Amino acid sequence: MNKIAKGLLTVTLGTSLLLAGCGGGDGDGGNADGQVSLELFSNKSESIDTYKGLIEKFEEENPNIDIKLEAPPEAETVLKTRLTKDDLPDIMSIGGNATYGELARAGVFHDFSDSELVGKVQPSYVEMLGKLVGPDEEGTYGLPYATNANTVIYNKEKVEELGIEIPTNWDEFTQALETAKEAGETPIYFTLQEAWTAMSVWNGVAGNLVADDFAERKNAGEATFAEEYDEVADKMLELLDYGHKDNFGIGYGDGNNAFASGEGVFYIQGNWAIPEILKTNPDIELGTFALPSHDNAEENNLVSGVDVALAVSETTEHKEEALKFIEFMLSEETAQTYIDEQKAFSAVENVFQEDPVFEGIREHFEEGTLTSFVDHYYPAGMGTENLVQDFLIKKDKDAALETLDSEWDKVNDR
Amino acid sequence: MVNRKRFTFLLMVVPALVLFFTFHTYPAIQGIFYSFTDYKGYGVWDFVGLKNYLNVFQDGRALSAYGFTFQFAIVSTVLVNIISLLIAIGLNANIKFRKTLRATYFLPYILSVLIVGYIFKFMFTHLLPQIGDALGIGFLSSNILGNPDLAWIGIVIVAVWQSTAFNTLLYLAGLSTIDQQVYEAADIDGAGSWAKFWKITFPLVAPFFTINMVVAMKNFLMAFDQIVALTGGGPGQVTESISLLIYRGGFQGGEFAYQSANAVIYFIVIVAISIIQLRVLERREVK
Repeated sequence: MNKIAKGLLTVTLGTSLLLAGCGGGDGDGGNADGQVSLELFSNKSESIDTYKGLIEKFEEENPNIDIKLEAPPEAETVLKTRLTKDDLPDIMSIGGNATYGELARAGVFHDFSDSELVGKVQPSYVEMLGKLVGPDEEGTYGLPYATNANTVIYNKEKVEELGIEIPTNWDEFTQALETAKEAGETPIYFTLQEAWTAMSVWNGVAGNLVADDFAERKNAGEATFAEEYDEVADKMLELLDYGHKDNFGIGYGDGNNAFASGEGVFYIQGNWAIPEILKTNPDIELGTFALPSHDNAEENNLVSGVDVALAVSETTEHKEEALKFIEFMLSEETAQTYIDEQKAFSAVENVFQEDPVFEGIREHFEEGTLTSFVDHYYPAGMGTENLVQDFLIKKDKDAALETLDSEWDKVNDR
Repeated sequence: MVNRKRFTFLLMVVPALVLFFTFHTYPAIQGIFYSFTDYKGYGVWDFVGLKNYLNVFQDGRALSAYGFTFQFAIVSTVLVNIISLLIAIGLNANIKFRKTLRATYFLPYILSVLIVGYIFKFMFTHLLPQIGDALGIGFLSSNILGNPDLAWIGIVIVAVWQSTAFNTLLYLAGLSTIDQQVYEAADIDGAGSWAKFWKITFPLVAPFFTINMVVAMKNFLMAFDQIVALTGGGPGQVTESISLLIYRGGFQGGEFAYQSANAVIYFIVIVAISIIQLRVLERREVK
């Protein structure tokens, strides 16, 4: 090998062979002239403007408290890194998912159990957060604030044209799909090129069919997918029959565009897809309802999760001020502003989303007929979404449920 | 004098060494260290010995990721080298607009992999199915990225399209080292262009062939961006490369230690392959 060649080889190979970890930001609550500075950490880039407005209002009411908003990309990774450095933000506004559970178990959050603030939020969501933490830790380590909903979004114009009544049980739903199919429409617009969108369907179907304590019993070795998800798998495949011709070729973004321009009657997605659809076609009239996967209309609840939970660091020097901010956030007025701007739902009692798009599911919030996202309790490392996508492609129910079982056990054994 | 000169050289090397050690070697050693623990990326941890390593070998998901990555890397490496050598020979010839063409062919390398990936994804999703429909070709009429048997071909196309540019550049550098007199002598002896390629050009760019094989193979074995942009590892898990698996499991799945073990194994595999490639290919170079 000649010299030039060797030099080039060294340079090109020198660019990292091994993966290296990444670091996060820092910040410190300072104290000058009685001025208290707090850091508010948020995991949602979508809510930055809303938070800025709210913070301004809070600072006007409390001139001695200064709140700095931090909403970095890859927020969960950043938060975990800061945990290792014992440098948690004073106030955290984070998603109600497995990461929340891990942090709460690490004992770094303030316990709200004795606070009257707990009474201001809906107990079903408090319970949901509690379940993420697990049975080993007593206490309320976070307050649910904003919530989301896994829904069936429908094109109002088409549904009226086809004379479809909003279905309340599985039979009615499949009949509605059949009507749409016979009329030559695409009944459900799937976007399964992106695996995570399969989970909207999975959560919607399983939410009403699988017992709430499945994950707990599965971890204890007392339950299996093969036994308890049989009906879920069957119904998933049934829904797939009502898709379009390229179910696995269209992704989320393209699906939003297609649905906005009138392709498809039903679209199984969370409330977060609605602003996206309206962006493409502001004139489209949309409606929502809870996916009625159960044969009995009364058993059909709305799948809803905690989109934003508020937590306070256990070790912050300014706990009193931090709690003051939480109290401000939980006031009905602030909560209403938040959900109006974010098109979300509120966990605060008596605060409801009034947007007509959500008319079909409002009842569920008012009556508390809610159930949780089943996959929030699956181990994060098992890659459920790709397994479900794979199941829908191969349509081999038994093999797929077996894989889910074995992947779960494998991840837990590590 | 000698000492002073040495000191100057030392001054030039030390900062780079320090930076390299802090940001590359040290994290790498840390990764190796944590691969023997049950560290989740934060919190407390214990030593677990070789458990992580043994688990990797029993992990069907990891094994199928290895299978996909090797299939993808081998096919892409072969294609990239054939195409870029052909382009390089063309661009080295005395043709019009040679400089403009050289710049044009280098363009894909400057573009971000993610952007290229998203553009190709758009083509695979919207343009290709239309062409397939129009021509009545069944397997093209739906998005190939959504087809478990064909998705990997989509990734190969993007990877090859983009990395051909850099390998062409290396081959061009190689071709310019060949003395024109050799060709003149061959012309006098009456050698045809085919003979000239196999007897002169190819043996003389052999060192560059070696690097291109090694570099391309190493890059494709570490494929990440293309896959994130195109399929995200799907459909199912058929296009999940090892880098993607390590990232997903390690940072999103809280399996930091386990995936560190996977990364260490993979590091050893890549080093071994690179060394074998170098040994085998160097032996057949002209000295």
